[in-house]
Amino acid sequence: MPQNRSGMPALVLASVTTVILCSCSRPRLGHDEHTFSESQVFTPGHPTVIDAVKEFVGWRATPVQPIAFPHSKHIANGIACNICHIGVDKGAVAGIPSVKLCMGCHEVFATDRPEVKKLTALYNSGLDISWQRVYGFASSAHIKFNHSPHIRAGIDCSRCHGDVGKMTVAVRTVKINMGFCIACHRAKQVSTDCVTCHF
Amino acid sequence: MERRDFLKLGVLTGATATLASCEKPAQQLVRFIPEEDFVPGIATWKPSLCTVCPAGCGMMVRILDGEAEVVRNGQRGLIKMGLAKKLEGNPKHPVNRGKLCARGQAGLQITYHPDRVRTPLRRSGQRGSGVFHAIGWDEALSEIVVKLQEVRSRQRTNSIRFVTGWVRGQRRELINKFLEGLGAPRALEFEPLDEPVLRRANLLDFGRPVLPSFDFARSNYVICFGADFLGTWNSPVAQSIGYGEMRRGRPGNRGKFVQVEQRMSQTGANADEWVPCSPGTEGLLALGLAHSVVMEKLRRSEQPAGVHNRDWAEPLTTETYSPTEVEKKTGVRASSIERWAREMADHPPAVALIGGAALAHTNGLFSALAVNLLNRTLGSVGTPGGVFFTPGSPAIKVARSLSQNSDFLSQLLSGGFENAEALFLYKANPVFATPPGLRMGEKLTRTPFIVSFSSFIDETSVFADLILPDHSPLESWLDDVPESGTSEAVFTLARPVMRPLHDTRAMPEVVMDIANRLGGEVREALPWKTFEEMLQASYAQLARSQPCNSTQDFDKLWEQILEQGGWRDGNCQLHLPEASASQFRVPEFSAPTFDGNEQEFPFYFQPYVSGAFLDGSVAHLPWMQELPDALSTAMWGTWLEVNPKTAEKLQVRQGDLIRVRSPHGTLEVPAVINPGIAFDVLAMPMGQGHENFGRYGSLRGANPMRILGLSEVREVGALAWAATRVNLSKVGQKGRLVLAAGALSEQGRDLELR
Repeated sequence: MPQNRSGMPALVLASVTTVILCSCSRPRLGHDEHTFSESQVFTPGHPTVIDAVKEFVGWRATPVQPIAFPHSKHIANGIACNICHIGVDKGAVAGIPSVKLCMGCHEVFATDRPEVKKLTALYNSGLDISWQRVYGFASSAHIKFNHSPHIRAGIDCSRCHGDVGKMTVAVRTVKINMGFCIACHRAKQVSTDCVTCHF
Repeated sequence: MERRDFLKLGVLTGATATLASCEKPAQQLVRFIPEEDFVPGIATWKPSLCTVCPAGCGMMVRILDGEAEVVRNGQRGLIKMGLAKKLEGNPKHPVNRGKLCARGQAGLQITYHPDRVRTPLRRSGQRGSGVFHAIGWDEALSEIVVKLQEVRSRQRTNSIRFVTGWVRGQRRELINKFLEGLGAPRALEFEPLDEPVLRRANLLDFGRPVLPSFDFARSNYVICFGADFLGTWNSPVAQSIGYGEMRRGRPGNRGKFVQVEQRMSQTGANADEWVPCSPGTEGLLALGLAHSVVMEKLRRSEQPAGVHNRDWAEPLTTETYSPTEVEKKTGVRASSIERWAREMADHPPAVALIGGAALAHTNGLFSALAVNLLNRTLGSVGTPGGVFFTPGSPAIKVARSLSQNSDFLSQLLSGGFENAEALFLYKANPVFATPPGLRMGEKLTRTPFIVSFSSFIDETSVFADLILPDHSPLESWLDDVPESGTSEAVFTLARPVMRPLHDTRAMPEVVMDIANRLGGEVREALPWKTFEEMLQASYAQLARSQPCNSTQDFDKLWEQILEQGGWRDGNCQLHLPEASASQFRVPEFSAPTFDGNEQEFPFYFQPYVSGAFLDGSVAHLPWMQELPDALSTAMWGTWLEVNPKTAEKLQVRQGDLIRVRSPHGTLEVPAVINPGIAFDVLAMPMGQGHENFGRYGSLRGANPMRILGLSEVREVGALAWAATRVNLSKVGQKGRLVLAAGALSEQGRDLELR
């Protein structure tokens, strides 16, 4: 069969375009982080078209955590959610503790485990764990979620975050989209006005 | 396309898509362990002190946890820390009572400024070239110690100079103790916004070289000569609060406010009557008013207040100060002078004040003494609604006001500051803010060793051999005793509200470290290990001596002080200067003289303190660059304000590039037509024209100091910065003028300027 060369340029063009479109987003901090780096210029734009599409459909990559933290083990040992996520009943941000809190126990407990060794090594070099965010919203949604009224209303953490007690590393098991929030707000007869969450 | 090609494309796309979905962790920077504990997302407010201008207002700072990008041990990373987010006034502070001016608000940008010096620097290029390289603290301090030891061994420590900006409280004490221990002279203060003429007048009349405070809230008549007291002068926030209470705090009574100045300031725009008198004749006008007040009171058989005989007023009643004579020299109508005198006699309490350009003439002292005398005839010295001095509690043994003898500018003017072996610079930029006749740059080039504590490279610190960057104010222990603005004795004390972002060190601790390494007398002079320790030791006497404190326990008192940001004592009496007959003196009349002859230089040149940049020390803050001038709305540069009639005569239109020339230099700036300025006066804001002040402050506009002469205020030795004459000519093109309010003409149709 004679080689048909007419398809080649199209193939090259298509490949190059695809490579450009699919290129990994440049390393950047999420919008919800705030730094004073001179290299960070705030922009609502996305580095690539694929990134924009991902945000639009609400697709987020599964985060890879630096340390394989098992929620199940800790909860089984009787540690309540707000021992580590201390801000959850006080304000908007639940918070993730610094490595100092972990070392409070792990200086003594389970020191033979490989992950605890990783933890201790990090702590000893003066560094904190770079946890990757699991739950969150794109900054373009302009959502300011406040944890404390939900805790005050008696809602259990697992309602939105899934049965963390059965998880090792936290994964997103509940699809939190606007419908999810509105459904509960309607059921509990709480405000569904736009500015309740978007401001 | 062939099937093979399609499959190739498919595989390629698939592979790429797979790669694309494998996201690297979003954080590329390491995270350092936080050095403090906080509840995430919850803000706290901490007390602090504003150090932008000498008013010394108390602040509250909102602290919220956030991430900052820092360098620790040479490694770049993120650290979660409490970050200052917003500055407000401290409601408990008696000077500013919860309010904060625009400059104070912008102070937040100092801490986060991208041009901040982040590590000690050593000069590697020529003096003034701006070429520095980073070094470690130990290396820097060792070098200083070696140099000082060398100077000490040659017994030349009396040639060491320490020049500071305005700094009061324990920081000043510490610097002076250090210098004393070394055998060096006391620190020299360089504060362009200070009022040395007013201090000398108050020393002569009241025995205290201190800036005055005013009880506007209870006043019924305010006459002000030249001072922008609602904008930038003295303690503007405190004065604004008092003024607000005078005008709107007493329903049915607005009082009356008369402003006498040649260029309408932000303050003058609030006046009921605005009076441009001839430059340098404010004192004569004040004595004319005093004359009329005395005559009026005598006519009504009233005693001019506070005295039991009338002899002291005799010199005032002469013809020299009669309204008709005064009109001839000041240009102010005699009928107006008589009317104001009647109004002041009818509506006590009436108070007068003077400052700014009115005192920056060669006869400034005469004018200041004249206004003091006017206040005496009005009976407003130390009385409600009048002028008084902020009391200093006897327990606070800290030097409060800038001392007469340690003024840097007067030393420079009198030819001092030669042969300095070593120079330390703290919060002062004399290369920018002095006339070129003083040749600051040359003097610095000749000085063998210069150390600066500046956080920024500016016109002065660029000459340094070593830059030891101080913490920003929010990262420092601060204490201050405000000089004016309140009737209570008060001191402000604040611990740092955030941890240092960069590898900087607090100036007091650096000085203590140097003293420690030097050893001997200087180490003994500073026996504390930290500045906090020194502050505690110095304020400990409070607990022992104040009857108004409920507890004698110093620790409790200290916690209370730190929690509220200072201490105040409402029980201290309003300081009443002793009024004795011998102190009632009518000052000898003195006329102003000007630099430049009238024929060649027909206009008076008046630089004015900018509401955005003050004397230029905050021109590097972008928020202040974005602040338009209050009256003209001009911004982003420097301009020359010209009266419309004068402009018409010279065919100068709005925005035309103008060459303004004095006997000492030339500047080219665009013209702004300003109906609120005298015909023969040209005004220019201070503050821009930096050659070296970071990315936001440099190479914008012009510096009016560059064309000033070295006229001095007689008997005071201060710089008479309003005594220069200039001429102007058109360059022949449009200048770059930006007005926030837009143009004054639209498609060739001028807006009417009445």
